[in-house]
Amino acid sequence: MLGFLAARQAGLEEPARLRRAEATRRVLSLDLNKDRDVERIHGCGINSLDIEPVEGRYMLSGGSDGVIVLYDLANFSRKPCYTCKAVCSVGRSHPNVHKYSVETVQWYPHDTGMFTSSSFDKTLKIWDTNTLQPADVFHFDGTVYSHHMSPVATKHCLIAVGTKSPKVQLCDLKSGSCSHILQGHRQEVLAVSWSPRHEYILATASADGRAKLWDVRRASGCLTTLDQHNGEKCKTSSEGVNTTHNGRVNGLCYTHDGLHLLTVGTDDRMRLWNSSTGENTLVNYGKVCNESRKGLKFTISWGCNPEFAFVPYKSTIAVYTIFSGELITRLRGHYSTVDCCVFQPHFQELYSGSKDCNILAWIPALREPIPDDTSEKQLNPAYEDAWSSSEDEG
Amino acid sequence: MEQRLAELVEELTTSGQPQLEPGSMRELKKICRSSEEHLARAYHLLMTRLQEEHAEIRFSAFQIAHELFARSHHFRTLLIADFQDFLELTVGTDHEQPLPPPKEVAQKLRRAAIKAVQGWHEKYGEAYKKLALGYHFLKQNKKVDFQDVSARTLAERRREEEKQKRLDNIYKEKTRKAEKEMAEMSPEIADTLTEMENCFRLLMPDPFDFTVNDAELEPNKQITASENKPASPSSSQIAPHPSYFGHVDDEQPCCSKDLLSVSPCFKTGRNEDTSEEQEQQDQKELDGGIRSELGSDIPALSDDDYQTFVRNHGLISHKYTLDLEISTDIKVHENEDNTAIINNVMDAHKLLRNKFLPAVQSWIQLFTRVGINDDRLRCAIDLKNKLESAMKKYKEMNISIKERKRKLGKRNRMKASDDDDDDDDDDEFVEVPEKEGYEPHIPDHLREEYGLEPLSPPSTHGKEAPGGRAPLSSRAQPKGNEDELDPTCAAATLKLIRDQLPKLPPVHTRLSIETRKRAEERARAPVLPFGLDLHYWGQDQPSAGKILKLSSQHRFWAPNEVEEEVENKEISDMLKTRYITFAGEFEPVRHKCRAPMPNGGLCQRQDRFKCPFHGKIIPRDESGIPLNSEDRAREAKMQFEKQAAQPEWRDPEFMREVEAATGVDLGSSKNNEKGGKKKGKKKKYPNLTDLKQQADNSRSRLEKKVFNKGAMKRVVKAMNRVDQRKHEKFANQFNYALN
Repeated sequence: MLGFLAARQAGLEEPARLRRAEATRRVLSLDLNKDRDVERIHGCGINSLDIEPVEGRYMLSGGSDGVIVLYDLANFSRKPCYTCKAVCSVGRSHPNVHKYSVETVQWYPHDTGMFTSSSFDKTLKIWDTNTLQPADVFHFDGTVYSHHMSPVATKHCLIAVGTKSPKVQLCDLKSGSCSHILQGHRQEVLAVSWSPRHEYILATASADGRAKLWDVRRASGCLTTLDQHNGEKCKTSSEGVNTTHNGRVNGLCYTHDGLHLLTVGTDDRMRLWNSSTGENTLVNYGKVCNESRKGLKFTISWGCNPEFAFVPYKSTIAVYTIFSGELITRLRGHYSTVDCCVFQPHFQELYSGSKDCNILAWIPALREPIPDDTSEKQLNPAYEDAWSSSEDEG
Repeated sequence: MEQRLAELVEELTTSGQPQLEPGSMRELKKICRSSEEHLARAYHLLMTRLQEEHAEIRFSAFQIAHELFARSHHFRTLLIADFQDFLELTVGTDHEQPLPPPKEVAQKLRRAAIKAVQGWHEKYGEAYKKLALGYHFLKQNKKVDFQDVSARTLAERRREEEKQKRLDNIYKEKTRKAEKEMAEMSPEIADTLTEMENCFRLLMPDPFDFTVNDAELEPNKQITASENKPASPSSSQIAPHPSYFGHVDDEQPCCSKDLLSVSPCFKTGRNEDTSEEQEQQDQKELDGGIRSELGSDIPALSDDDYQTFVRNHGLISHKYTLDLEISTDIKVHENEDNTAIINNVMDAHKLLRNKFLPAVQSWIQLFTRVGINDDRLRCAIDLKNKLESAMKKYKEMNISIKERKRKLGKRNRMKASDDDDDDDDDDEFVEVPEKEGYEPHIPDHLREEYGLEPLSPPSTHGKEAPGGRAPLSSRAQPKGNEDELDPTCAAATLKLIRDQLPKLPPVHTRLSIETRKRAEERARAPVLPFGLDLHYWGQDQPSAGKILKLSSQHRFWAPNEVEEEVENKEISDMLKTRYITFAGEFEPVRHKCRAPMPNGGLCQRQDRFKCPFHGKIIPRDESGIPLNSEDRAREAKMQFEKQAAQPEWRDPEFMREVEAATGVDLGSSKNNEKGGKKKGKKKKYPNLTDLKQQADNSRSRLEKKVFNKGAMKRVVKAMNRVDQRKHEKFANQFNYALN
């Protein structure tokens, strides 16, 4: 650290270097912190979390009872101990609350004045944050598994929606109607994600075992289907056409630069794809346990040197390095299946929601205080051993 | 040190005691204190012990963990890192993974664990975030009430709820079915009840309704009374019937019949007093005569009857005080007028008893069990009450079914012998052709088989007896019969007479001996179904078996030689032969196998020829030793061979002892796998409750049988074979041949 600082001072290294190194260190030391809590509002499992990209201050959570809660993550109390307060919530008593489980919540990428939520009650709602009233409601034929707005789009305002029908729907916020239908999948679409690099590129993942890349300007069909064998004939594939995963593909996440794409499937595998060519990079992550029947929301860190993927793994969160596929650690703290996690890039914090109704905040551990006489006393008495003094007693 | 640690953990966890043994515990703590590595090792050992499917092991392991948790920070961090698993194993938070048996210990374990978690949370909750989270998780998600004494977790409650739900569903289904059934059956029940009610009213009018239906539906009330014995037994019998107005069978005078039905001792009375008997006969005749003349005017006569009675029996004085105890129980007798009604009532009663009442009771049971407390239950209870009252009424009516049966029997007899009946009766009987193999007289000992009552002394024959026997014999045959007069019929009548009036002088001894012989033969003779051979019995059929072929009528075409007649022996034989299958008689096996068994007892199987365990059944004495010498020799030889196959020094008992003494495995368990295994296991943890023993119920035993690998394989094989056969059959059809 001191070396980095010195080098930075001397101008020997580019400025990003120090930041990256420190961010990486912090991510590696992520842990539960007794000083950080998230207020318990949800009475049911948490399906979706989203932190607004502008300030990284407000977090949305969607519960499986249809409740949406908005948290303030910033700590202005000048104390280390902080409980993230719920600013407001769309509770069960709210007239416009979702009837069934909220599957996805997402902030409008450019402003906190608006957010979107989609639910199993077959609707997608556009909310005005300030009045907490839905500005618009889209109705679909099937339950909505996932939706996404492009974080970089400037020329369009489309929300991609994956529903129970195999067609991906594109809803235009400007006109308030479904403008497009992308056909190509054979079963329900479990995850959709816009590329953070090209505004017209969309990735979708479906229960038919395929993930597809689309250019929404092209009407004829998808750009490419991600192929786990990279076009080589595979004997085990029964249909003769290769698939992305052998099970359902239920998670999709672009790296922050948009160059790579991660998919997870119910075959307990995670795959990394080159998003420009659609090529399998063949990184081996080992077994990534995945029993979810719905979409799985995982996340990728941003601003570290080797980037990390945080993937729900039963009741823990597995941390992998993206490009080497190494399992760094598993964060244990939830008591039930973890459904979603979201990364806060500014302070390298991780928030995870689970079926046990908890939202846990994973905060980078502070540096170990230099051991001296005073620190000895500050140590929590609970950490001390309590062996009885007499040798016989033990 | 590590070795010792493992030993200590095992020893402590398999003690099966509710408290830990302090000595070993102290040693364990000392080892754990020595280094963190040992502590980690102990932690892993404990976790593996916690995963054991035995509540006692888990409980002990939990107690050790609790001790160490309070002492070491390192142990705390380790445990809290795996706190979720720990909770699952001790509190049973996962409702698909309940705590293992035995139940009481599991219950204790859960209580202790919940208490411990609470204690830990209070003490360390601030410092260990995950512990706090776990506590909240238990409190809020699993809804564990930390104050709850029974410490039921949500999982447990959910399990119970599920069970309840399943039961509820079943009940709901049943209720629905019962409801439907009730809706279907209620009108039927109501109909039957009304029918019965009406029948009752017809049989037994209300006391206030008397005037309405006295013409044809006279109440067959019989009032039995006991009087203060004045004179002879016969008078005591007769006296109670002054007010008898009942209808009786045509051929049976009222007094005698009713007397009989009331008192079995009448016979003795008659035996004592022949003169009186004679009088009675007269009386009967008188009665009968009047009846036949006047028909339904009996009520008018009955007063006279009474006076005649009084006079006949020397009861000149009317000053006797008669205490009439009018018993409340009513007796309804069947007669021609109410046969149909009684039949109806009885049918209805049978229906009620056998069908409706059980159904209604089952509904009520079901409704009460489900807890339905509305109209349905009320309706069912109403129905039940109604049914029960109807049944009670029926019982009170005391309808004498016996009468009916006897009447049937009488009819049969009457058919053979009675001639001087009304025209109606004549018509009835003449039209029926004589039955083949009909037995006019059924011997006493056979009567039961025919479903008849034991003979009742008085009947028409008795009445006619003094008149004359000779004409009877000729009259006995129904008109229009063939020339072959069966003398037995008359003889039977005579026999009847003799039976009924035993005290009459045996005039017809010769005849009766003949008849008796005849009857005995008849009783012995087999009853065969009717066949061709019986049809042509004693007749010669000359043309039987001959096949006539008509010669061709064609002008040109004719076979060159036509045998006009072909005799077929078989056909002619067919008319004379009868096949009787002789299957022999079933004879129950009385002997037992009685082969000595290893437990010292004798085989109690009763097989006819061969015991499935001990082979051919041979005669044996009390101690199971064969009686025949060659059998004995054979058995001894077999024993010897068996022993030779397993040398004596390999006797499993002995081997086990040797092994126990030396501590070397000599392979006794291999020899006798089952026994050895069991022994070994028992030795291993003698203090733990044996779960296998607890699970030894009928279900588990059945499971063992049904899900036995061998059995499964067998079933699969058989089913495959069936499939295969189908394929073989249609192998040449492509759509079958392919799969």
